[in-house]
Amino acid sequence: MNTDNTKAQMRKGILEYCILAVLSRNSCYAVDIINELKKAEVIVVEGTLYPLLTRQKNAGLLSYRWEESPQGPPRKYYELTELGKIYLGELDKSWEQLVDSVNQIRDKK
Amino acid sequence: MHGINFYLYLCNIKLVCINRYLIIKTMKVTVNINLGGYAFNVDEDAYERLRQYMKTLEKEFSSESSAAEIMTDIEGRIAELFKMRLNSYKQVITMKDVEEVMAILGTPEAISGSGTSEERPPRSQRRIYRDPDRRIIGGVCAGLGAYFNWDPIIWRVLFGALVLAGGFGFALYLILWIVLPEAKTTAQKLEMRGDPVTIENIKESVKEEFETVKKKMNL
Repeated sequence: MNTDNTKAQMRKGILEYCILAVLSRNSCYAVDIINELKKAEVIVVEGTLYPLLTRQKNAGLLSYRWEESPQGPPRKYYELTELGKIYLGELDKSWEQLVDSVNQIRDKK
Repeated sequence: MHGINFYLYLCNIKLVCINRYLIIKTMKVTVNINLGGYAFNVDEDAYERLRQYMKTLEKEFSSESSAAEIMTDIEGRIAELFKMRLNSYKQVITMKDVEEVMAILGTPEAISGSGTSEERPPRSQRRIYRDPDRRIIGGVCAGLGAYFNWDPIIWRVLFGALVLAGGFGFALYLILWIVLPEAKTTAQKLEMRGDPVTIENIKESVKEEFETVKKKMNL
């Protein structure tokens, strides 16, 4: 068993949830999301984010608007849709359950 | 990446061959590319690296339903990162820039997280073409020779023998002439010989062609 691989799999599983959680506070450019995730040591590379954002947008969880940028092409600012908020609420619940379950198993003597 | 200024690029090489051969050797040729609606001058080696990278990313996302949109997003981001690295003293994107950008965006393996995919060299698939450069009649034998890596003479003798044996060779030759496409572009000629279609090889091939034309014209 490769621990790095397992860790990566774990991180990947919660990545979607983390993106929605970041966007629940305010609308963001992809790089803002990256920076926040990096600070929390959730993600390592930017490239992972783009397919996820597009997938979530296609699923109706996110919408985006274009904003001018002084540094290059216009940027996509993503925000949660109503559906995204409901979805996030459900993920919140399931995350709490998951943490509870894991803790219960871990702490059992 | 779209809208690569290929014509100019080829012109560049011809210029190299005609009058600046020795001088240009110490300078780097740049390629003009369009990324996310911005034009960038990229060193040739850096361009090749970037092109490879984009290709593997594209392959990585090919299973996604909106692969094109993802690639556009990434292209836009690369353009932004490139712009941040340019100023009035630095006008050309170098290998170092490309490598930095690749580190920020991540290798395809890191992106997919599966760790199974790896960067493959461009395919070097062989295809049968008719070879117009070495043809005697229709280039069928020359093309077959290039494909099987045999001397075309062997094929010519074979076809000649078949023709003498009862005309079957004649019909076969005609059919092959009609069916096999002619290798017109440099990429097709590389494919015919089984060489990978890379910018380096195209460059070499164009150079060779130029030399042959020069010799023929006694320049």
